[in-house]
Amino acid sequence: MKKVLFGAALVLACAVPVLAHHSPAAFDRTKEVKLVGTVKEFRWQNPHTWIEVLVPDEKGKEVLWGVELTSPTYLVRAGWKSNIIKPGDKVTVVVNPVRSGEPAGIFRSLTLADGRVLTERPARLGTADSK
Amino acid sequence: MIRSASRRVAGALVLAAGLAIGAAQLCAQAQAQPQTPPEPLSALAPANLSKSRPAAPFNLTGNWFIDNSPGIQGWLFGPATIPKLKPEAQKHRDAYLQAGKEGKVYRDDIGACWPAGVPIIMTRVWPIAMIQMPTAIYMISEFMNSMRVVYLDGRPHTDPDVVVRTFNGESIGRWDGDTLVVETKNFINDPHHWVDQGVPASDELRIIERIRMINDGKTLEIAMTLTDPKNWEGEWKGVRRWNRVDDHDIGEVECLPDLNEHLQSTSSKVHVR
Repeated sequence: MKKVLFGAALVLACAVPVLAHHSPAAFDRTKEVKLVGTVKEFRWQNPHTWIEVLVPDEKGKEVLWGVELTSPTYLVRAGWKSNIIKPGDKVTVVVNPVRSGEPAGIFRSLTLADGRVLTERPARLGTADSK
Repeated sequence: MIRSASRRVAGALVLAAGLAIGAAQLCAQAQAQPQTPPEPLSALAPANLSKSRPAAPFNLTGNWFIDNSPGIQGWLFGPATIPKLKPEAQKHRDAYLQAGKEGKVYRDDIGACWPAGVPIIMTRVWPIAMIQMPTAIYMISEFMNSMRVVYLDGRPHTDPDVVVRTFNGESIGRWDGDTLVVETKNFINDPHHWVDQGVPASDELRIIERIRMINDGKTLEIAMTLTDPKNWEGEWKGVRRWNRVDDHDIGEVECLPDLNEHLQSTSSKVHVR
């Protein structure tokens, strides 16, 4: 990933099950990529919320990354709102990348320009950590 | 007078003969028409709801969420418990396992917006709203708002020559002590209906669920026995639990093609169709 993107860094990760409508096998849960870029679009909807982030590569060319999140059901519990980010916002997003090498991943965390960090936790309903 | 009376008798005979012929024609027509059984009462008909019945041992009305504490594989039935598959089904399973080795995803039809169907819809990572009436239990998964009805009013399964086969099948329940026993069959024969990853379901799939409410009504336990002679040998058994969720109401969740276009998890090159 470092070869492809100037704003992307690779670290290790672990998986957390969240609301989804598809197999999670497309993503490499053992890797994390840190994306430093600008929000292009944030879509707040079921069954998945998603963010598109423009991330500069080594030559300064902007690459559009797709970031897939869980449903608003969980995000609201984790402090999210539909207007918490908007196009043009500078953000840092950590994802588990898709295995194919395409510029996309499943969400791990988001750091806003003011330093606040958002995750998808709590990640379960009906258990102690959902309260 | 005599001639007049004779005329009246003759007229009556002609009339009687005409009526007899007409009646015979009506009978013949009636025999030619298919026999339509009387319509059963709807599960929500007041006359059905108000029938005298023994009190149900428990009421599972509420929102339930699969206990995913065993991890991702806990949402499914396998692979450890998968029975011996028939050759055609084994081909799918092998292809699924091979795709996994290559970092690919095999036939993720649910991701492509095909209905999950019973039993997988029960173990999706989405809450299920259940509403229990004396005559039926209505189960609505938040995911794609898929509806499943378990009839409790004593009706039999629909005539297989009449039933419309579906991904969720047709479920009929009866009480057995403190357990609700549900038999589900009449599934659709569709290559997009899967029991587990790489394990297909057929129209011969039959599921027996033994449902108990435990843990002071906070937990629902379902012991499932699955048979599908087209796809595997013998019985496939599994037990799953669902936890009550009192701080969440299900909402509208659609699987939309334009959403999938923005999700690499469903549109990426890693998919094997």
